[in-house]
Amino acid sequence: MKKLYSENDIQHEELIKGLKALPQIKAPENFEYNLMVRIQNKNFGEVLEERPKFNFVKFFAPSAIVASVILLFFIFYPPSGEVDNPLMSEPPVLDSQSVANNSNIINKQLAFKESIKQKQANVPKARASEKALSTDANSPSTKLRPPIPLSARQSVSLDDYISGSATNRTELQKGNVVKSGEEPSEFDGFFVREQPDLNTLKKYRATVDSLKKAQAKADSIKKARK
Amino acid sequence: MNKQLSELSDEEVIKEFQDNNTLEAYEILVKRYKDPLTNFVFRFLGDRDACTDVVQDTMIKFYLNKDSYRSFAKFSTWIYTIAGNLAKNELKRKRRRNFFSINSGEDERTPQIEDKAFLAPDKVADGVLKNEIIQKALLKVTPVYREVVILRDIQDFSYEEISEITGLAIGTVKSRINRGRAQLQKLLKNIYRE
Repeated sequence: MKKLYSENDIQHEELIKGLKALPQIKAPENFEYNLMVRIQNKNFGEVLEERPKFNFVKFFAPSAIVASVILLFFIFYPPSGEVDNPLMSEPPVLDSQSVANNSNIINKQLAFKESIKQKQANVPKARASEKALSTDANSPSTKLRPPIPLSARQSVSLDDYISGSATNRTELQKGNVVKSGEEPSEFDGFFVREQPDLNTLKKYRATVDSLKKAQAKADSIKKARK
Repeated sequence: MNKQLSELSDEEVIKEFQDNNTLEAYEILVKRYKDPLTNFVFRFLGDRDACTDVVQDTMIKFYLNKDSYRSFAKFSTWIYTIAGNLAKNELKRKRRRNFFSINSGEDERTPQIEDKAFLAPDKVADGVLKNEIIQKALLKVTPVYREVVILRDIQDFSYEEISEITGLAIGTVKSRINRGRAQLQKLLKNIYRE
């Protein structure tokens, strides 16, 4: 090992000589004076100051606090404006379409009102004779009856059903005697008709045909035996 | 008394300073070591002002912590250890300053040592310029290698003494010197041929 390093010395002989030949740097002339002044004045500067050792927790605590605050801000801060959910919001309607729809609706409403007026005009004429006939018998009861605060679509008169007088009602209304119109009908969704598989259909047809043929043969054999 | 103190060895002088707090003893040691320490620190840092400050701090540390010296160690190794540690701290501080400064040491940027096509050989051989080039190359050597190369080849310390100063094993010291010299040789290949 010693040989190796002595070889190394020889290898870098010139370099070592060059390094040794470097001029000796000397301290400034007032070095000692300045030093003594510092000592007398007890001006020890940074020499006395003990460098605080690196503390991992102290070093990273402030940054960790800042990071956690930012994180909490993003987690808990309520959004300033409600974010529109495209699935929840109604689709925008074009002005031309809305105008057309509105005009259609208005036209329909007008037509409906006219038809109601016409019906109302016809009904009193027809019922006038009926009222004239039944006024004597039904007058006290009709006067005493309070107006029913229910709409005709949602309520059902059970007396009319029992007596059989409610003949004008549709089949749908007849079926909804109990809880008629109180609750919305449950909608399970559209029934999607599945297209039958052609191969399975052919198979079934072939089996049915073979069964029919076998039955026909059996019948013919029976007839022949007889 | 002064004459007697100046004739004593370093260890004896510091003992006098430790025992009797004799300021003359301290001054003698300062006189003995101010130049070698200045040379060592300057070769390591390459900055004259910083070097003077570091040597001053070394002497003040020696003054304040005289009792921490133990007589079984050589005084020279002890004071070089202090100076070396302070120099390394200064180097770190300097690097930090350069890292955070705006011009990031543009003025201190040394010219390329390896590429010296622009220098005539006779000028390279010139002593002053050569010394400057060697010093600049020395500053480009990795600090851990630089320190041991300076201690060995400039300050003439033995491997054992360098081992004491740096606190490294002798084998590590030798290998570091070897690597440091190799780096330096590579940087100064135009001046020194292997």
